[in-house]
Amino acid sequence: MKTVCVVTAWLGAVIVLAPVHLARAARPDRGADVAAATVETFTQRNGGVFAEWPDPRAVIVITGELDGYIEPCGCTGKENQKGGLSRRQNFLRALTSAGWPVVAVDLGDQVRRFGRQSEVKFQSIADGLRTMGYSGVGLGPNDLRLPAEELVAAVAPVGDQPTPFLSANVGLLGLDANITPRFRVVDVGGLRIGITAVLGSRQAAEITNDAVEVQPAAAALESVAAELRKASCSHQILLSWADPEESKTLAAKFPQFDIVATAGGADEPPAALPVLANGRARIVELGHKGMFAVAIGLFADPQAPIRSQRVPLDARWGESPDMIRLLATYQRQLESLGLAGLGIVPIRHPSGRRFAGSAACADCHQGAYDVWAASGHAKALTTLEEQAPRRDGDPECLSCHVVGWAPQRYEPFEGGFASMATTPHLAHQGCENCHGPAAAHAAVERGDVRASTTERDRLRQELVLSLDTPEGKQKAVSNCLECHDLDNSPKFDFDEYWPQVEHSETKTAAAAR
Amino acid sequence: MTVRGPNAWLVAAFSAVVGAAIGGGQAALEAAFRPWRIGDFGPASFAATSTDAPVAEVPETRHEFGTIGSGAERDHEFVIRNAGRVPLVLTRGATSCSCTVSDFESSEGGDELARKEVPPGGSTRVRLKWRGKGAGGPFRQQATVFTNDPRRPEIVFVIEGAVVPTWKAVPDAISLPTIATGAGAEASVKLYTYGSQPPEVEELTVADTQTSQLFTLASDPLPDAEVTAETGATGGLGIRVRLAPGLPIGPVRQSIKVRLRVPEEISLEIPVQGTVSGALALAGGAWDSSRQALLLGTVSGRVGSRTEVFLTAKGPHASSVRPIVREVVPDSLAVEIGEGRSVGDKGMIRFPLSISIRPGSPPANHRCSDQGPAGRIVLETGHPETPDFSIPVCVVIGP
Repeated sequence: MKTVCVVTAWLGAVIVLAPVHLARAARPDRGADVAAATVETFTQRNGGVFAEWPDPRAVIVITGELDGYIEPCGCTGKENQKGGLSRRQNFLRALTSAGWPVVAVDLGDQVRRFGRQSEVKFQSIADGLRTMGYSGVGLGPNDLRLPAEELVAAVAPVGDQPTPFLSANVGLLGLDANITPRFRVVDVGGLRIGITAVLGSRQAAEITNDAVEVQPAAAALESVAAELRKASCSHQILLSWADPEESKTLAAKFPQFDIVATAGGADEPPAALPVLANGRARIVELGHKGMFAVAIGLFADPQAPIRSQRVPLDARWGESPDMIRLLATYQRQLESLGLAGLGIVPIRHPSGRRFAGSAACADCHQGAYDVWAASGHAKALTTLEEQAPRRDGDPECLSCHVVGWAPQRYEPFEGGFASMATTPHLAHQGCENCHGPAAAHAAVERGDVRASTTERDRLRQELVLSLDTPEGKQKAVSNCLECHDLDNSPKFDFDEYWPQVEHSETKTAAAAR
Repeated sequence: MTVRGPNAWLVAAFSAVVGAAIGGGQAALEAAFRPWRIGDFGPASFAATSTDAPVAEVPETRHEFGTIGSGAERDHEFVIRNAGRVPLVLTRGATSCSCTVSDFESSEGGDELARKEVPPGGSTRVRLKWRGKGAGGPFRQQATVFTNDPRRPEIVFVIEGAVVPTWKAVPDAISLPTIATGAGAEASVKLYTYGSQPPEVEELTVADTQTSQLFTLASDPLPDAEVTAETGATGGLGIRVRLAPGLPIGPVRQSIKVRLRVPEEISLEIPVQGTVSGALALAGGAWDSSRQALLLGTVSGRVGSRTEVFLTAKGPHASSVRPIVREVVPDSLAVEIGEGRSVGDKGMIRFPLSISIRPGSPPANHRCSDQGPAGRIVLETGHPETPDFSIPVCVVIGP
């Protein structure tokens, strides 16, 4: 895609996208230079794409609900996960390399969380979407939780490039500040495509950001729809960050939109697009976490003018150097900001206790320590350091790879791991993440601190995690699930995984004999 | 294990030959090359069976489970019948990551390639199993079965439903995005429960005791209509948070601890997120919040440049802000301040600032480094607590 002409219209813009005429490549079912075996593996695993498509006049690619997954999580191997900007760009490139003119749009919600890391991430993703040549990007409710100063900086036009962000009913610093256009018209493959976006009423009611002004979606669309009608578009896209029912209501009220992307769908988009009862609007769900893109082909064939394809963004698309660079820059920013710069301050552990580090446990529990030391848990931080770019400055990664963090909050406890320079004894996924902070217990057992027998026994007992009772097992499983969650360990099954790291005192004692 | 699906183009070509052979001629040829689409093939499509090809008949390809409790497992059997005159060969294809397809293993009638054969007139079943996982919400999982029926080379079975969690907060965190220093804030969250009785609150406190005196919490049962509207919910609470002025500038670090009985005990924490910022702030593409500087880059002094940013005023004294320019460095910087305008209903006011390097400006080096100290724009604000607002400017003016 290449922007060759930009014409500003009333609160909108007309962009002419010149189709890229490259050497006709193979059908777009893989990224460049991806091994045939990889393509075959993931085609079998997640289904083939575009196998029966004739060449379209243009393809609308819709993404959305990235939810912060700038790259897929993947303790069990990133290649087993779907999503990420890198594969997304290679997928878009595969389409344009095949000579298919592409219009890329995104529903919104680039981030899911709040705080400095999400602000930096939102900026990085916005840069990535620009690099990929997106023509329209909506604003989701989680995006709109970020401070206005950050949002405005990220979505503002860069040089002569207009912002890809747009919304019919959301105004950053007020609707009349016109920081983002209300709609956009794109000419591509001889077709004229109108694009706008709205935020739904439930989502608007939850906005607490006083710098964000939201108009009711239907009211805002009245004027935008009128402008789009004047533009003689052959297709019109509504990016509706709303519950599916509201999106369908808007689609019925404004039948000029023949493609309506909605939020609030299931975790995976359906294989085929449902068509609204009026017979016109195709309702597009995108799934969650940016694992899929939905491609809508526009064809000259009057019998089948539109076809759709759910595209799993898996390893068949390969990695894009542009996005790897973007990811490296993002990681460098996190590293240079550091935990303090990211506004991350240690929280108090519920027990009020401090951490000793796994090596301290070995003094008395050598058998259990040996099992741990031979496990992947003992190399957890190394796996982050060895990645390119390295991820050990990323709190969202770090929280499950060191001792003394709250995994699902991405925050350290007081006395938890801070850095390899200051707390190297708390590196990796160690004993105390399951058993609890053991500094007081270790100090008493070593004799550094005097304690009564009762107190000593109480400290010991606090750290016991028994699988002999349903409550104990439930507690252990819950601990594991803090990190072995659906994203990082989708196949996790405690009964299957536990034998690989089992280190009960009786078992290790028996092994020693 | 290697599973190979049929090549669609071979299937299409085969179908074309078969179609031509039975006298369909051009129409059959066109049909053969019409792209296969999921859902194109209802049972009626297979009414006319002929030739020696197998015919896969599937009464249903989609099943709606309704709601599933978190952690509970459900399964559903789909049936595939062979209405043709030769064996129907089925091969297990792709499945969604968290969905299990059974009945293709050798112990279940399949072979070592996860393939099974259905004789003419026979039928087989495909069982999809799903365990409700995650924090709740709608799910959709699917499994593909490849067939040697040329008119239906693949069948996609879909199971859908919604996982009901133990509890659910909407939104999942309480957001107080930007609180001006000296101002308070209010927000609320809806907490839905799914037990056999409406929730009884046993504890409602803030977790961080260092700032707890600034937070006031209250809860009320949600109206029945709101509870009913939430799929599977049996009760709900509206929790209100009021934050008094007094938090220091920086991120808000707090969470609400809730202990309920439904009648089982549920303990949960809902994060409270926000940032306390200064009463005045800049927003715009050229404003770098990490460096706290306006980045104008390298500008041709002959041509000049123009940048638009916004000054925002928040908090109890926002309405008293009347910014005027007191000082600029370098002298070639020009700043025009537009009229203030209210944003939203919480008293924020925005002022457009147009910042120019005048055409014909002399060279200057303010690259914000040892070689060139930052330039600046200093505004007199009229704000009683922040009377001056200094904006560092990084710019290099060349020829």
